[in-house]
Amino acid sequence: MAQTNLGIEPQTLKAIYGEMARIRAVDTAIQAGLSAGKFTFTYWPMTGQECIPATISQLITSRDYMVTTYRGIHDQVAKGVDLVGMFAEALGREGGVNKGKGGSPHISDPSSGSMVTTAIVGAGTPIANGLAIAAKERGEDRVTIVNFGDGATSIGAVHEAMNLAGIWKLPVIFLCQNNQWGEYTPVPEYTASPDFAVRAQALGFAGHVLDGNDPVTFHAAMKDVIASVRRGDGPVFVEARTYRLGLHAGVGDNKSVTKEELAVHKARAPFDNTKALLISAGICDAEELVKIEAAAKAEVEAAIAKAMESNPTPESETIIDVFADSDCVPRRGHYPIRSAEGDLPGERKTMSMVEAIRDAQHIAMTKNPEVFILGEDVGDPPGGVFGTNKGLQDEFGPNRVRPTPIAEQAIIGAALGASIAGMRPIAEIMFTDFFGVCLDQIANHAAKQRYMSGSATHAPMTIRVQTGGGVGGFGAQHSQSTEAWLLHTPGIKVVYPSNPLDAKGLLLSAIDDPDPVVMLESMKLLFTQKAEVPLGDYRIPLGVASTKREGTDISLISYGWQVQQCLEAAEVLAKEGVSAEVIDLRSLVPIDYCRILDSVKKTGRALVVHAAVEFCGLGAEICSTINEELWGKLKSPAIRFGAEYAPMAYSSVIEASQVPSAKSIVARVLAAVKH
Amino acid sequence: MAITLTIPKLEMSMSEGTLAEWIVADGAEVKTGDFIYILETDKTAREVESPSDGILRHKAPAGETYDVGTEIGEIV
Ligand SMILES: Cc1ncc(C[n+]2csc(CCOP(=O)(O)OP(=O)(O)O)c2C)c(N)n1
Repeated sequence: MAQTNLGIEPQTLKAIYGEMARIRAVDTAIQAGLSAGKFTFTYWPMTGQECIPATISQLITSRDYMVTTYRGIHDQVAKGVDLVGMFAEALGREGGVNKGKGGSPHISDPSSGSMVTTAIVGAGTPIANGLAIAAKERGEDRVTIVNFGDGATSIGAVHEAMNLAGIWKLPVIFLCQNNQWGEYTPVPEYTASPDFAVRAQALGFAGHVLDGNDPVTFHAAMKDVIASVRRGDGPVFVEARTYRLGLHAGVGDNKSVTKEELAVHKARAPFDNTKALLISAGICDAEELVKIEAAAKAEVEAAIAKAMESNPTPESETIIDVFADSDCVPRRGHYPIRSAEGDLPGERKTMSMVEAIRDAQHIAMTKNPEVFILGEDVGDPPGGVFGTNKGLQDEFGPNRVRPTPIAEQAIIGAALGASIAGMRPIAEIMFTDFFGVCLDQIANHAAKQRYMSGSATHAPMTIRVQTGGGVGGFGAQHSQSTEAWLLHTPGIKVVYPSNPLDAKGLLLSAIDDPDPVVMLESMKLLFTQKAEVPLGDYRIPLGVASTKREGTDISLISYGWQVQQCLEAAEVLAKEGVSAEVIDLRSLVPIDYCRILDSVKKTGRALVVHAAVEFCGLGAEICSTINEELWGKLKSPAIRFGAEYAPMAYSSVIEASQVPSAKSIVARVLAAVKH
Repeated sequence: MAITLTIPKLEMSMSEGTLAEWIVADGAEVKTGDFIYILETDKTAREVESPSDGILRHKAPAGETYDVGTEIGEIV
């Protein structure tokens, strides 16, 4: 007779065990295959942690979102990721759930709800918030569970994410699998906190410490936690205590502890104890358990055999999945012709760049209810520190224009997660210098999500960011040009308008683009320039440069606020008898090499100008391409001109001299033309 | 299907291992889980188990150190 006062339905306990058996079979097969040299990949064993996802699997469905880490194979198995696809992924095969491009630390499988897997400690938490925003805004009752280790509690992203989830009452569960180790460092050596749940309490929401090795009490507690989050009562933090029995990475026992201590933890590990409980409670007999394990083993063996039949993902896949359209990938010798914008709406209004940006956002938000804005101070009355969102919160409400805490990782992560769920967020970062505190979310996550997931997921998000420089007095941390950081990160598109008309049209294209796009907005241009901007919706396509002035002796190639300096220089040069053509790139990735090369073919000379540091800047890249492609046809080698190699100075004298100006551009051109 | 045996990577820092001794003779039958050879690294010596049932074929002599990933045998 089955015991009835266990505190869990017998069938549930048996089902939890069934999942634990599948996880154990996967772990055993991987360790055996690795140690026999049957295959090779980096494995972060989760031996001892099986009970946590096995239990949760009985309380959620594939509709619920999950985010996890490199040490998350147990989470993937319990979430329902197809085992053949998972193994093939770990092996780097084309049959993998992510075409072998992400590997086991980057599984993304929306069909099972496993949305994002990150190898950056703690970085999944801000992204989970975004998934939760999407669920909440769409009125869905999905919960998002983000798994991370105890060590991750020390990193800023987790704090930022928890704080944001608290203030926005997001339906997210922060599930800290406390396996007592952050790599080789035990908990008491890296924090003085008595436990991790107190951190949630400090941020205004519930935090629980649970025994993650006991399926009975863990199930009971998680049932309540998941129900409350599903109801909309806001986030919950769970510290599920367990123990990492294996190495940080590789095969074998955890060697950071003594054999005796490890034996104590092995005795507390959930797998055998749950089995014993099923027998002592009379739920299963030994024979039944043998059958469950044998079935799990057979399932896993068949999956591995099938996965190994899949071929390694071939070289021909290299640039596929960087962007939705591989033609956007810059490639030597491949310079696609993209159509320009054509005729724009005739009716126009005088607008500053600020007004043009506001107008673009208004149009996008009116057309698509899934477009929303988030960032510091973006709500009304200020409508952003530069007023680019003025009136939008009043019109569209606080859920669609969301002022955030001062937490750039939380902002980008939330936008990213919401975009992975299919929304069209616009994240505003106040100054490009602050990319320094959220580059992980941009460069390691947003830029790579499509690629790492083999396009199973992608991130159609926009980041608008103000860029200082050229106005003076903002100093080294509010005036720099950071586009090279972005350009050197495959997977992110970058636009940098030089005028209000382009700003509006590029932003509308960016919001609709299937890939993450950063739009750099020059502070120098935001207010100073007024232009006749077409009313209504129109698009400036990404990857199409525009000729701002025709000329025959040299092509000045630039973007952003330096276009104006080039135009002024061209005026002066005309008086010196030098006819300069000015090309405004508008979009840096995708880049319009076709129009660049056409212009230089005609003029025979090129100077690329930017406010960013010259050394290793975009200018060097463009010059290299021009020199290689047009060698023999040039009157002189293509040259570049950017800022001197120094942080931006506070002294206005230095600042004015350290970046190109109309005057210094003229001097550089005259030297080249004489050459 | 034949299964290739290579020098395994047991830890991130491991780059080579010594095939100290073949426990099972060339051409002998093995079962999954049987110890087939002894692998020494700078940290430990361990007996490596057969990943499947079949006939073991040696492809590299014992007593030598090989890079991780080097093929040392197969099970057919
Ligand atoms: C931001 C970052 N710093 C360092 C690492 C290297 N690293 C990988 S795993 C790990 C330990 C993380 O410990 P914990 O968060 O407790 O998770 P566990 O590995 O125990 O699951 C570290 C430091 C990393 N991947 N990301």
